[in-house]
Amino acid sequence: MSDDDTINPADRGRIVAAEYVVGVLGAEERREVERRLAQEPALATEVAFWEERLAGLADAVAPVAPPPATWARIETTIGTPRHSSLWQNLAFWRGFGIAAATLAAASIAALFYIGLVPQARPPLLATLGGSAGQPNFVAAVTATGDSLVVVPAALLTTDQRAFELWLIPAGDNRPRSLGLIQPGQPIRLDIPRDLAGRLTRDATLAVSLEPPGGSPTGAPTGPVIAAGKLTNL
Amino acid sequence: MDAEASRSQITAALARVAAGDRAALRMVYQDTSAKLFGVCLRILKDRSEAEDVLQDVYLTVWHKAGSFDPGRASPITWLIAMARNRSIDRLRAGAVSRRMASIEEAHAVSDPAPDAVERIERIEQHRRLAGCLEELEARQSAAIRAAFLDGVTYEELATRMRVPLGTMKSWIRRGLLKLRACLEA
Repeated sequence: MSDDDTINPADRGRIVAAEYVVGVLGAEERREVERRLAQEPALATEVAFWEERLAGLADAVAPVAPPPATWARIETTIGTPRHSSLWQNLAFWRGFGIAAATLAAASIAALFYIGLVPQARPPLLATLGGSAGQPNFVAAVTATGDSLVVVPAALLTTDQRAFELWLIPAGDNRPRSLGLIQPGQPIRLDIPRDLAGRLTRDATLAVSLEPPGGSPTGAPTGPVIAAGKLTNL
Repeated sequence: MDAEASRSQITAALARVAAGDRAALRMVYQDTSAKLFGVCLRILKDRSEAEDVLQDVYLTVWHKAGSFDPGRASPITWLIAMARNRSIDRLRAGAVSRRMASIEEAHAVSDPAPDAVERIERIEQHRRLAGCLEELEARQSAAIRAAFLDGVTYEELATRMRVPLGTMKSWIRRGLLKLRACLEA
């Protein structure tokens, strides 16, 4: 700040909080302020002062409704389990307990076969295996292409962490969260509209262990316990 | 709904979000997402970037609602600060190819839209801010407003307003010091 020597040092020390809130600092200076915030309550108070007092400036910005897909993605990521009537009717799944991936896959195939699910195109299935090759989950894209049924094939672990399902589209390495799944019961997840078209043959599905509520970063942070490619039945 | 009722309603919803209530998150989202999306969009000037940041903000709300301190900030202030900080960080990371500062933008900066000033004044709790901003030199308050709304650096403001970087820093710092004294008085 040597370019403005006429401001006294005490004021300069304080003004950085205002500069941070107004938003004129560069990336490195912002990180520096954030590091200090954790240790300097006086600076934090000063930042809070400016945030509260300047918030009114945001009134000059007209509200813009975000697209519905944004909420859908948030909801999927935080893992709202939405049991469809289909699954409510098929509560017997839980009673039986699913011992093997083959049984689960066959059962899902049967759903398509007996017409519970209208068959618009060949169903896509994935068997998600663990590192030892054992099948852990079976996932099937529903015929309408807008939701995914995930059935645990074996009791994997008593780990208390959340199980998060990821889509890694074919030809693209960035995992997209499809939401949280349950290790002990089948679940149906709605697929965010912008991802529906990416659930194609050769796309990969993977399950990682995450903190409660799911990955805080939007990318997998814990170990991947199962993965597999989508294939046509 | 008046501002006070809205404030206590959002505060209560945030407490429920902290307890893991998804329906409460939806309520907060319904009440605040259009405002926050507008703020992100203004800074990032790119819908898909703004959508990413908006999603990130509400996921952070989901995980961190417990850290919101209603004694320290109003909920909308907390949310706007988060949306602005994330948007500015995204902007600094260069994820957005920014439009070049144009002559129109230079005008917009030096002559803020009159309805912006009116809207600020309409709201009782912001009247003081508007009054204090008016006490600054026009170029100082215009620069502070533009920085806040667009999240741009000293360097970019200096380019837009065609003054040396040192001059811009001096305008804004002096403006902020004066603003602080006025807001505290």
